[in-house]
Amino acid sequence: MFEQSPGGRGQNRYVLNVMAEDRPGIVSAVSGAVADLGGNIEAVSQTVLTGYFTLIMLVDVPASVSGETLQQAVASAGGDHAFMVLVRPATRCTPRAVPAGSGSFIITVMGEDRPGTIFRFSSYLAERGVNIVDLYGDNQQGRFVLVSQVQVPPKWDIGMLQADLEHIGQELGFTVRMQHENVFVATNELRLQREAGA
Amino acid sequence: MLRTDQILSTIQMLQAENLDLRTVTMGININDCAAPDINLVCRKLREKIRSKACRLVEVCDRVGRKYGVPVTNKRLAISPASDLLAGHGPQAGLQIAMALDAVTTELGIDLVGGFSALVQKGITSADATLLESLPSVLSQTKRVCASVNVATTRAGINMDAVRWLGELLPQIAQATAAQDGFGAAKLVIFANIPEDNPFMAGAYLGAGEPEVVINVGVSGPGVVSSALRRRIETSDRKLTLLELAEEIKITAFRVTRAGELIGREVATELGVPFGIVDLSLAPTPKVGDSIGEILKVLGIAAIGAPGSTAAVAMLNDAVKKGGAFASQSVGGLSGAFIPVAEDSTLAEAVRQGHLTLEKLEAMTCVCSVGLDMVIIPGDTPPATIAAIIADEMAIGVINSKTTAARLIPAPGKKPGDLVEFGGLFGAAAVCEVRNPGQSSTFIDFGGRIPPPIHSLRN
Repeated sequence: MFEQSPGGRGQNRYVLNVMAEDRPGIVSAVSGAVADLGGNIEAVSQTVLTGYFTLIMLVDVPASVSGETLQQAVASAGGDHAFMVLVRPATRCTPRAVPAGSGSFIITVMGEDRPGTIFRFSSYLAERGVNIVDLYGDNQQGRFVLVSQVQVPPKWDIGMLQADLEHIGQELGFTVRMQHENVFVATNELRLQREAGA
Repeated sequence: MLRTDQILSTIQMLQAENLDLRTVTMGININDCAAPDINLVCRKLREKIRSKACRLVEVCDRVGRKYGVPVTNKRLAISPASDLLAGHGPQAGLQIAMALDAVTTELGIDLVGGFSALVQKGITSADATLLESLPSVLSQTKRVCASVNVATTRAGINMDAVRWLGELLPQIAQATAAQDGFGAAKLVIFANIPEDNPFMAGAYLGAGEPEVVINVGVSGPGVVSSALRRRIETSDRKLTLLELAEEIKITAFRVTRAGELIGREVATELGVPFGIVDLSLAPTPKVGDSIGEILKVLGIAAIGAPGSTAAVAMLNDAVKKGGAFASQSVGGLSGAFIPVAEDSTLAEAVRQGHLTLEKLEAMTCVCSVGLDMVIIPGDTPPATIAAIIADEMAIGVINSKTTAARLIPAPGKKPGDLVEFGGLFGAAAVCEVRNPGQSSTFIDFGGRIPPPIHSLRN
């Protein structure tokens, strides 16, 4: 996809990562610094977790702007509120994390919080090439809720994965469910399910 | 990308509130099983059902597991069995029913409906054969469910059939006296029977339906009562009924969507067309999974008290509004059921004397489906049973809606006695029938109550 992007020749593409204590104006400061360098933001995603802001951006800048210059410009845009900024060159093509035909599932884990829970589940998934595309965890009054949206390679039997995950859950004292994402789409969105490829 | 709060609210509905898909019902037309020899009819029936439904249970279980929504019942609804009985002797009904019982047991299917006759305007000899066989069929088979349509808005009410069924019900109950008359719980008497109803005991495959079709029935009274309770508890102000109706609508939308998703996928995997989603809120005897519980959350402290009919009317309407948008194709009964024995809160209201037969009848004017799973004293005169059926049929005929009667005259039981059927059929106290024996002259006239003037719509 990068070859077709407006970045094109004579441009450098970087992945920019910013972390800071949350406050109004962070996106303005970061995007202002990019604009001052003649850069264009291709894609961005940000989130705030318990008062901490983090952002990941794909940025095209003129070939004359180095990664170091971009990093320093964004860091200084934070003023008194120090931004932690990481910059690395973007690869020229998007790596495919999972094979074509992978199914989108939601895994929910609920139970009493204890160290190592995310590691136990994520390592099981990693061993099977199951990719986590979104992860949310929250601990409220000792009750831990973990919601992960995952892509499961087509070679796996869903019933077997479900049985394994539920078994791990029982060992750790967690309720674990793995369900196809369409049941969540159907019960929350206007369309019954997403069109293929959407 | 789905939002976490959306995911968690669905998880709440599926796990904490036990949402299931109450039934996936495969409709199968059996008319091509007709033959001059009844043994050949039975053989063809077994072969046809095996070929169409052999994967039903396996596919339902797999798809249910994929989405985390169990399919609680897998059922069959055949085209009326009376069609196969024409020209056959009196034992043919039982033979066909035994064949149905055997093949559904073999395939792991819970119940099969469609041991049915449509007699709203007259009773054919085949219909008569079926009706005569009901006491033996309902006492000697486990999975076969029967229904008889005795009235429509276009034809009026066949009072000869109503009178006959008034006599048959005690016979069926007597034939299953060891189970407190349980056989009668597998027979539904209808006005305006729907052709695509997936719920038992009244499911059958009507005329104009495909050769094979998948219809589904959702559940969800427990989900609706929990959603209402949560809405009331988390609000910092007093809510109005308009807002509570909206909450029911939203919940019905979500419940229906789960059913639509799974039903369509099951149909696709089986290679048969998908028919309809029946939006009916179908209670189970499980505590909390109850229409009565919803009425309590809506502020009716004793079910049967004034206000009960209005509350059911609001519930029924909101369920339809939410469900209709959720599904491409809604059908069946699609309302809120009030089956007394199958709903622990309603059963308790009858036991305490809050809910009477007359109030139940009033409530059925504004909801689905009728006097359902009502246990009456075993010594109720047949003509009085027929008159109760006639009253319920009149509500359906005049209001152009489906109504039904599933009455169990429990042998030897008196008002207030407890009767327990177990499983989905539940338990309840015997309901008092007032003024017994006072309707016999009316029933004795027989003939047909003509259709209402508004049936002339063309």
